[in-house]
Amino acid sequence: MRLNPLRRLTNRSRGEHLSGKGGGSTDFADYRDYAAGDDMRYVDWNIFARLHRPYIKQYLHEEELHVVIMIDASTSMLFDDKLLKARQLAAAFGMMGLLNVERVSVYAIHQQQGKPWSLPPGTGRQKIRPLLKFLEGIEGGGNIPVEQAIETMLRFHRGRGIAILLSDFLTFSDLSRSLNLLFSSGLEVWGLQILGESEINPTLDGDLRFVDSESGETLDITNAGELMSLYHEHRQWYQETLHQQCRSRNGRFTSINSSATIEETLFDTLSRQGWVLR
Amino acid sequence: MSWPDFRFPLGGWFFLSLIPLVILYFLKLKRPRLEIPSLALWQSVVNDQRVNSPFQKFRRNLLLLLQIILICLVILALMQPFISAGPETDEYIPVLIDCSASMSAKLPGSDQTRLEVAKERVQAMIDNLRGQGKISLFTFSSGGRRLTEFTDDQQLLNRAMDEVVPTHRASKLDEVLRMAEAYARTAAVQRVIVLTDGNLQDRVDFELPFKLEVQRVDQGGNNIGITEMTARRSGVDNSSAWDIFVRVAGSGDETVFGEITLTQNGNTVGKESVGASQEDSERLVFSVDSAESSLIQATLEVDGFDSLDIDNSVWLSLPKTRPLMVRVDAKMYSWQHALSVQPDLDIDAAETPAATEYDLIISNNEELNGIHAPIMIYNGVVPEDLADLISIADLTAEDEPVQVVDWANTAPLLRHVRLRDVQIGQKASFAEGADAQLLEERGYEVLIHAATGPLLLQRRRGLETAFYFLFHTDRSTLPYRLAFPILVRNAIESALQQAGLAEVAAVPTGVLPPINLEADREYRIQGPNDVVDTMKSNSTGALNGVQADFVGKYDILDGSEVAVSIGTGLLSPLETSLTSVEQLQFAELSVATDETKVIDSDRHLWWAFAMLAFVFLLIEWWYFQRMRGATT
Repeated sequence: MRLNPLRRLTNRSRGEHLSGKGGGSTDFADYRDYAAGDDMRYVDWNIFARLHRPYIKQYLHEEELHVVIMIDASTSMLFDDKLLKARQLAAAFGMMGLLNVERVSVYAIHQQQGKPWSLPPGTGRQKIRPLLKFLEGIEGGGNIPVEQAIETMLRFHRGRGIAILLSDFLTFSDLSRSLNLLFSSGLEVWGLQILGESEINPTLDGDLRFVDSESGETLDITNAGELMSLYHEHRQWYQETLHQQCRSRNGRFTSINSSATIEETLFDTLSRQGWVLR
Repeated sequence: MSWPDFRFPLGGWFFLSLIPLVILYFLKLKRPRLEIPSLALWQSVVNDQRVNSPFQKFRRNLLLLLQIILICLVILALMQPFISAGPETDEYIPVLIDCSASMSAKLPGSDQTRLEVAKERVQAMIDNLRGQGKISLFTFSSGGRRLTEFTDDQQLLNRAMDEVVPTHRASKLDEVLRMAEAYARTAAVQRVIVLTDGNLQDRVDFELPFKLEVQRVDQGGNNIGITEMTARRSGVDNSSAWDIFVRVAGSGDETVFGEITLTQNGNTVGKESVGASQEDSERLVFSVDSAESSLIQATLEVDGFDSLDIDNSVWLSLPKTRPLMVRVDAKMYSWQHALSVQPDLDIDAAETPAATEYDLIISNNEELNGIHAPIMIYNGVVPEDLADLISIADLTAEDEPVQVVDWANTAPLLRHVRLRDVQIGQKASFAEGADAQLLEERGYEVLIHAATGPLLLQRRRGLETAFYFLFHTDRSTLPYRLAFPILVRNAIESALQQAGLAEVAAVPTGVLPPINLEADREYRIQGPNDVVDTMKSNSTGALNGVQADFVGKYDILDGSEVAVSIGTGLLSPLETSLTSVEQLQFAELSVATDETKVIDSDRHLWWAFAMLAFVFLLIEWWYFQRMRGATT
């Protein structure tokens, strides 16, 4: 399996991803008119013999794709095994990247201050073990919102490719700015929202005092049962907004249930939506 | 529309309890805490315009609202709201409630009696009582009884109303009006309200010092009952046969039929159909043989509706039959001669009395040497206690013959007796300053008057009646006149009557007649309706003043032995007739009885508020349980 980016955002270093630019690989890409200064070696002499006009023969350029996996490890991800699901998906995406000779780095961001946990960019099968070890070592807990996590990650990241955001995306702020930063950094945004069953289908009723797991703030709710339909409307609207924001930046977005198995997620959900190719 | 008023407006202070409720609610309101990953979505939900709608705000504190409503309703119920039926009054009103037998009559088509209807009206007056107004409750039947002072204490009045029960007595308004008049002197009474069925004597011997407002309850239905029951010896000589006369009267225009059953000591001795209406009463005669004393009961079973039950049973005590025992002094030949021709007498004219108890004693001497009789005739005797007031002297040659100028021909002894032409050889004279008034003060009544003084005196003492001929009959022409045997017969009749040997009548409810028993002995009286009383006979052996308020049999018990059984009956034609008088005639004016006047009662609303409070309590409980179930 391999990741299926929408655009060819690659690094200049050689890799196994074919860049959009003409390259030195053996795979033919296209013809173009000869321009002064072009390397005479790439002129197609057979065509020149037939047409008496020089055409440059272009080849695909195989460049390295940087796969940045950002795991939101804040406290909100500890509910309903969301963090576990994020780690599993990160392992899957990381394995895909490494096995396809791509550059993979992982960031697990939890605290607002300090340096995030990160796995330095690496490529090749020898990085599989450090990757898995890093993912196993991620412990949740923290109060960083997802937009700050993205910005924190971007402070340490260099390179173009795919940014896979594994988060619940539950934040009070607008994500537009963070996504713009990702886009402008040459990263294709893949937002994968992981929600728990208690967030997708909460069973609540009566008067309640909700406590935010990260900030500790409270919110009094009266007749929660009668607000459920409104809640679902808001959740769907928010997911559509995120989807729109990602799409408008040539990215992807999908939402999964943390209770779904990893097989269902990979081979069904993500495969059908073209995230991965088999 | 009239706004509700409150009987207990001070209860409004309890509304202050809402303040701590609201404070406590907001202080103690504890919602279940629920930790969630993020408030982000919920915050947006809460911020939604629909969530912030006024209705949702209202629902946020629904529990508090329910509690406030609940408390308000309870306090309003506590304040006893009512819609007034009339203005406040500051009157002092004696209310006289008729509890006579006819008030027990059931209204046609209803299980309510007249008394219950009257009580409802009085209850309405009590409920309406406010302002400075005060009520004093009286009940009356043959007598009156005051139940309460002038009071506006509704609890006290309601308790007194529980004591208002129908009696088995005839109604008489005079006595209770006198009581009310006496009591009215303690307060400014403008009017007295009488609640009655109008079954009263239309003439009332009373001068009204206040306005009388007579409110009449509805007419009862058809009724027939026994209004009279007497027995008379039917045979001659020593026969033990009695004729029992039972009169049955009715109240309706149409004749109502029934059946009279006569029992003697519990055994049926006669049964006969009877019919009576308001116009026609029927008198039945039964023959009963009773050598020994026995208790006769007449019971009327009515075909169809009978408004009043208590006039359907009457008891009558028949005495043991025997000749009348007469003691007459040995030398009173004229009396002995007159007595000798009378039937069924046992005359003792010996020098020494053969017995100590007689039915009639005729003597020349006030000293009787230990013999007793209920009726005594003294001949030529001035009572010892009147010796200072009256003197007897023989006539002299100069004196005019003494003649009778007047006599009480209604007295039992002098019925049908003419004394006009009797001449008397002795004259009785009042001492100086003495007159008939003084004699009356000493318990003597003058039955025969001469020009100079009394000739015959009557003294009643307990069950004994003594007649004093102040002149000796042998010193007059009386024994030679037709009046003498009539007088002797009257004496025998009186003695028979007193001994109950000739004629007895059923005893009406009220007070039992004096009963001859052993002297100075305590007896227990056991009557109907669980009446139990203990009374002591006096020194002459008479048991007086035994209350018999209810129709039924009264056993006078000496220990566990029944000494005497006496039964009573209503025996009131007026009560049985259930008629209502339209006007009461008082000494100076007439008072109309008003049937239409119905007192409106205040409409109490406390129960409605209490019910609403209960409903809100249930709603609150349900809501609270729903909240608890949801959060758990």
